[in-house]
Amino acid sequence: MKVFKAFEFKRGSTVLHQIDPRSKLVYLILFTFLTVYFTNPVALLAIFLSFLPMVYIGKISARWQQSLRGALFFIVFIFVFNFIATVYPSWNFYGAAVSGIAMSLRFLNLISVFSIFFLTTSPEDLTQSMVQLRVPYDYALTFNMAMRFVPTLSREAQYIMDAQRSRGLEMERGNFIARIRNYIPILVPLIISSFRRAELVADAMESRGFGASKKRTSLYVLKMSQTDVLFILIVSTAALALFCLNLLL
Amino acid sequence: MVLPIIEVKGLTYTYPESESPSLKDVNFKAEAGEFVLVTGPSGCGKTTFCRALNGLIPNSYGGEFRGSVVVDGLSTTSTPVYELAQRVGLVFQNPENELFCTTVEREVAFGPENLALSREEIAMRVEEALSTVGILHLKEKSPEELSGGEQQKVAIAALLAMKPKILVLDEPTANLDPLSAKSILELMSRLNESGVTVVLVEHRLEMVSHMADRCIVFDGGRIVMDGSPEDVLYSDSVADLGIGIPKVVLVSKHLNRSRNGSLRCLTPDGLASYVRGFPV
Repeated sequence: MKVFKAFEFKRGSTVLHQIDPRSKLVYLILFTFLTVYFTNPVALLAIFLSFLPMVYIGKISARWQQSLRGALFFIVFIFVFNFIATVYPSWNFYGAAVSGIAMSLRFLNLISVFSIFFLTTSPEDLTQSMVQLRVPYDYALTFNMAMRFVPTLSREAQYIMDAQRSRGLEMERGNFIARIRNYIPILVPLIISSFRRAELVADAMESRGFGASKKRTSLYVLKMSQTDVLFILIVSTAALALFCLNLLL
Repeated sequence: MVLPIIEVKGLTYTYPESESPSLKDVNFKAEAGEFVLVTGPSGCGKTTFCRALNGLIPNSYGGEFRGSVVVDGLSTTSTPVYELAQRVGLVFQNPENELFCTTVEREVAFGPENLALSREEIAMRVEEALSTVGILHLKEKSPEELSGGEQQKVAIAALLAMKPKILVLDEPTANLDPLSAKSILELMSRLNESGVTVVLVEHRLEMVSHMADRCIVFDGGRIVMDGSPEDVLYSDSVADLGIGIPKVVLVSKHLNRSRNGSLRCLTPDGLASYVRGFPV
């Protein structure tokens, strides 16, 4: 579950934290596109290297590395699977290795770019930017609450697990299928209690006037600054450079 | 004659999935500025009563509703909850479920934002609510990082930002340690002195009985006692209900029996000065 730690936002005060989520969204879309579009491992590696200054500026290197370590298993899995799948008819080992590496790098890049985005964007700013991008408030709020309740739910899951273990449930027993089935006594109470919690949260929302007016206002409104323009300019130039590099290779 | 700010008449209510009513013929009145303490054994209808006061019952819950609840001149059956929310604030038992935003500031701003107030007005209300409750320094924090007592204070601030005339609290200290509980209850007393009508459901009578103007005891969905905290706690029948009688009251009653006195104090200080021989 370490992979998810990589997306848990912590407050920071770097330039990257202060940039409008919408500008960072531009960055996210550009680099996701490049990652998916490129097939050459060298070009993909170049993208990966371009993340390093971002990680440094945002001071998120510790958690970014943690997420990469958490993803290591998947990366190896992707490489092996890809290698086997491509090597079969032609028996071209070199070609299969290259395509496996490209696929693994692609995965690494996707994790990194999303990690940079979520680690430097506060949930409330993200929600507000969704509202300003004309996403209906109900959906934006749902998203915001999902972020808010992740730690609460994981704590609750831990309580239930402790309770079931203390009654003799052995989580680590049996083969793969049996282990998955061991999770049923955890999931059922967790789902039921989440439904109850949802009702109570709904009560609390109504008690604070949810739905009182058609067009609600907001304490903070996001504004694009000059830094944002500069940021978009830099990342677009970088994306263009990477695109040209890919053409040359 | 002052008009009551809360008037409940012949309220009988049954939840949709339930067979028997949770409230049976409840009659209750509160005047503006009163501090009403509500107590009674678990499952006696206190929570249902709280939900009825801000219109969640019957508007959100459905079920069978007979009788009438009028709050600040509005009937709860014909007024939407968001309208009532500007008059009655409801604080729940578990603060974890009433906080759903990612910072304290946004949490408190949620209510005023729903009312579509201007940004300046929202900022002012947030500032005011946080400083009334004394948690201005927690503004930037996430509710997740706070202690239970702090979370409950955030929940109260979030309601104060709606500027309600009435605060209804459903066992706000149930999940708190004694010290945080005390600070929440003292906050209630302070808010009451500033003019807010308080209806407080509470088991910790030891801490709160001397703050209240009135005490109401629920049992089996009915109000079985209604009077001053002294009248209720010193009455003979209250001992049979599942209520934690404050030790001060038990000791005083004991003294009364042995000395044939009529001591009726609710605080340790009062009892102490009586024992030392000073008039109470």
